[in-house]
Amino acid sequence: MLEIKDLVVSYGAIEAVRGVTLTPAQGAITAIVGANGAGKSSLLRAISGLAPIRGGQILLDGKDITHVPASRRAELGLAHAMEGRRIFRQMTVEENLQLAWRFGRRRTTWGDALDRVFRTFPILNEKRATQAGLLSGGQQQMLIVSAATISNPSTLLLDEPSLGLAPIIVQEIYAFFTERCREDGTTVLLAEQMASLALKVSTHGYVLRQGRVVREGPSKELLETGLVAALSSAYL
Amino acid sequence: MIAPRTVLTRLLTHPAFILAAIAALFFGCSWLSGGTVQILTFLMLNILLAQSMNLLTGIAGQISLGHAGFYGMGAYASGILMKTAGLPFVVSIPLAAAIGALSGYLVSFPAGRVREFYLAMMTLAFGLIFREVVREWDGLTGGAVGLSNVPSTTLKNLSVFGVTLDAIDYFRIVVIVTAIVMWLVHNFIQSRHGRAFYAVHASEVAAGCLGIPRAGTKRQAYTIGAGMAGLAGGLYAHMIGYLGPESFDLARSIEVLVTTVVGGLGSMAGQILSAIVFTFLPEKLQVFAQYQFIVYGAILAFTLILLPRGLAGLLLLPPRFIKPASLRRAGTAGVAIRPVDSDRNAALVVEGVTMRFGGLTAVDDVSLELHPGRITALIGPNGSGKSTLVNVVSGIYQPTAGDIRFFGESIAGLPDHRIAGKGLLRTFQDPRLVPRFTVRENLLLGAHRRYRTSGLAAALSLPSAVREEAAFLASVDAVTRMAGIADVADRPLESLPYGYRRLVEVGRALLAEPRAALLDEPAAGLSEAEMALLARMIRAMKDAGLMVLLIEHHMDFVAELVDDVVVLDSGRIIYHGDIEGMRKSPAVIEAYLGTSETEGAHA
Amino acid sequence: MEDFLTLLLAGVSVGAVYGLIAIGLNLTFWTTRTMNFGQGSVMMLCAMLTANLIARGWMQGLAILAALAVIVVLMVFTEMYTVRPALKIEGSMGWAVSTLGVGIILQGCAALWFGSQAVAFPDVIFSAVDDVVIFGVHVSLQYIAVVVLALALVVVFELLVRGTVWGRAMRAVAMDQDFAAVIGIPVRAIVLGSYIASGLLAGISGILVAQIGGTVDPAFGFDLVIFGFVAAVLGGMGSTPGALAGGIVAGVLQQMVGGYISSAAQHGMAFALLILILVVRPQGLFGQREINKV
Repeated sequence: MLEIKDLVVSYGAIEAVRGVTLTPAQGAITAIVGANGAGKSSLLRAISGLAPIRGGQILLDGKDITHVPASRRAELGLAHAMEGRRIFRQMTVEENLQLAWRFGRRRTTWGDALDRVFRTFPILNEKRATQAGLLSGGQQQMLIVSAATISNPSTLLLDEPSLGLAPIIVQEIYAFFTERCREDGTTVLLAEQMASLALKVSTHGYVLRQGRVVREGPSKELLETGLVAALSSAYL
Repeated sequence: MIAPRTVLTRLLTHPAFILAAIAALFFGCSWLSGGTVQILTFLMLNILLAQSMNLLTGIAGQISLGHAGFYGMGAYASGILMKTAGLPFVVSIPLAAAIGALSGYLVSFPAGRVREFYLAMMTLAFGLIFREVVREWDGLTGGAVGLSNVPSTTLKNLSVFGVTLDAIDYFRIVVIVTAIVMWLVHNFIQSRHGRAFYAVHASEVAAGCLGIPRAGTKRQAYTIGAGMAGLAGGLYAHMIGYLGPESFDLARSIEVLVTTVVGGLGSMAGQILSAIVFTFLPEKLQVFAQYQFIVYGAILAFTLILLPRGLAGLLLLPPRFIKPASLRRAGTAGVAIRPVDSDRNAALVVEGVTMRFGGLTAVDDVSLELHPGRITALIGPNGSGKSTLVNVVSGIYQPTAGDIRFFGESIAGLPDHRIAGKGLLRTFQDPRLVPRFTVRENLLLGAHRRYRTSGLAAALSLPSAVREEAAFLASVDAVTRMAGIADVADRPLESLPYGYRRLVEVGRALLAEPRAALLDEPAAGLSEAEMALLARMIRAMKDAGLMVLLIEHHMDFVAELVDDVVVLDSGRIIYHGDIEGMRKSPAVIEAYLGTSETEGAHA
Repeated sequence: MEDFLTLLLAGVSVGAVYGLIAIGLNLTFWTTRTMNFGQGSVMMLCAMLTANLIARGWMQGLAILAALAVIVVLMVFTEMYTVRPALKIEGSMGWAVSTLGVGIILQGCAALWFGSQAVAFPDVIFSAVDDVVIFGVHVSLQYIAVVVLALALVVVFELLVRGTVWGRAMRAVAMDQDFAAVIGIPVRAIVLGSYIASGLLAGISGILVAQIGGTVDPAFGFDLVIFGFVAAVLGGMGSTPGALAGGIVAGVLQQMVGGYISSAAQHGMAFALLILILVVRPQGLFGQREINKV
């Protein structure tokens, strides 16, 4: 179980996250929404160990991981699909997956892990020897979420997975992690700028603004109370 | 209760103190022994060397690991020219400086094409290779045996205009030369050139968008720094009378580097203190000579990590980059922004611009126009291509297709500093400012391209240069008042909260007297009060007749300011018109929120 | 003709070692975008320690291993205490100065312990006078051995980098440190490892050059690091075969110019070559043009 308490993240003088407390529901999808610059990415980066934490705590299954280096957090079951489609572009699809599997928790054999990926996304099988940098945006995102989940993480962080993707691909990606969540009981933390997308698949939602949580509640409620419309005036 | 640092700094930099010190040296030397006079001469040369490296490494941020090579170029040049070619002292010394400068230019030639540490390697290579070439080319330099019988005060055969100089005369000449050079360099550093050096050091991208040519500035720094070292070398040659390659080897380069690092990179006063320490200390500690290298190595290895600002950081106030004389003349009658003249051609026309990175199309056939006195908002979801478009227009990227015309002239593909030079300015999502500069110094950087007086005028502190800078400072003052930051104008930016950076960045753009301003999310992270100040500045731009493009997410902020809106999604324009229409446009709503089709698939 | 072939072989031989040095410099550049400016002293120290230990009666193989062990400790210290802290300071190139500082400390220590005179390097591989006759020309076995060894090391290195999981992990860290970290690759360990490997390559290079040159002195390494850098730049900083090719070109040119023109010209040539490449084709013969995205 992931718990975040009073987290403060700052890059030099810039305070990106100013005291955020949240506890994603285990085995369910939790949405983090907010405008650009609200602190969603910084929050996720702090959870996975990539951003400097100036205050507060992060607990994973009761253990304080606030100062544990990023590569060790993967071992503890944390996975992060970063924004900006970060992948090893000069390596092939298979090489990317192999590295993710080899340095992850390795709950399954390589063969089984690879099979599962290819069953879910047959196109990755076709492109297994292609350099990741040459794939289309959607295929890259498929690769990224596959790499993130290849080690059967207990907690999955997704940073704007829908960014720049065609709606039909977004559907596929969303279907993928929704199913994973259901099948494997993975806790998913989903950050999206497109609030309604995230709120429609999640059970609970947090709205961030300027580094703070300004609203939270069951996603259905957030959707129904016209929050989206209210948000849209913040966006639009 | 004034802090000791302030007292010490004011004392050391007070003109009366400096003149008294120079006078004491100049007149007092006749009472000193020959040995002492020679060490003091040596001290002056070390000060020159330390200042030359400070300019190059401390201010311009270019690491010089073979500085003794430049020193040696000057020394051998003057020595050979006087001894073999019979040139007079007053000709060979300036030539020594020129040859030093030329070698600095050569070393820095690849600047702008390669990463910075390549240049550092080049300086290391230059230093080592210089020594080897001197050793092998014995026909010219005397080789390993050295060049002896160089006309000098030691050999008592140095004469200028028929007068034979003794050690004391020479010392006086060196004192005067050192004082003059330092005065020139001090003026230079406190001029727009020094600020440009520092800007390129602190943020290359910011420098570019201000119209400061990065490669050229780096080369300038190497040329001037090496020239100063060459000058010191020439003076050295005629003090000592004998030149051997061991005097200009790696050990010497290390000594200069150590002196500069300990003095404090960026501080002229620190260099003087450090030069004093490192000239006299080795004398006193002869017995430790064998440990010298180890100590120097340790200093280099850890000082920048443990004590990055050296002695100057400990004892003195941080150096400032604006001439007090200019500040005094500035007055408060300045205007933050002047109305621009109308021009029939005034427009920024973006036509069919496409930007592709490999397989990814970030901007797809975008066309829009900006006109004077109008504010256009550019909005769109994350990843829609807004920043890329601004990067293309401002010259950071070259468009894959399409054209951009500014005042009728095609600017597509021009480098960023040239586009900035034409009056098209942009700000960045994450402000690119110089953290160690005060608010005032940062704002003044904006006026860089407007200066007309030359580097020489600045170095000589000519009245024309002072007047020009005072005029800009008056505008700076007006901008600080408009932005509501007048009370913190003299605080270093790094000590101020985030919101101030945004205001300073936009204010800096005003100082450049732009015809067009592209503002990339200026309101992000600002408080309500700060947003109001920002809005005021942007409205002033519009009233003055500028063309403004505003990328923003904060619709409340934008709604009151803009005349029209362009919405991008996945690199394409999906709406262009006024705000009301945008709120109702189905295409826009879908882009931001998605429709039922995209979400229906999963429960 | 005999001169030409001798010079050519000497050039290839010393050039192969330059290639090794270049690969060592590349390694840390890949993972951290830094380079050890004191690499020359690492080479020198390894060679001097080896010579010294052998002179004290140590078995040759053991002496070499001991020297390399010292190098490993040294590189760990350098990475942890002079590079990593310097990298944390935003934007500066302090790491160039601090690694140079460590190199200077080593040079000073070597002068203190071993004296500043040149020390003869014992014959570890064959003897200086062993030769073989090819096409009627006497060719030093030592030169041939050095070429073979250097090439073998390059091949082993490439195999390790391309063929093993840790090699791939290192390439991954070079491509994207953040992504590597989140998938569990121990980035800090790999960065440290790259410094250690770089030091080992430098140490071995030092021994090889000392073998062909015959002597070592405390100032021995800096020239080498410059030529190693020339090789790396010529070949392109990203490429191992490039580094080797660049090294051989630099080595051959150096020997030819030194033999047919003069020793002074030899050094001037290295510098001219560096400037030429950086101006005309900064990415080197085999490298990729770097695009800096804002």
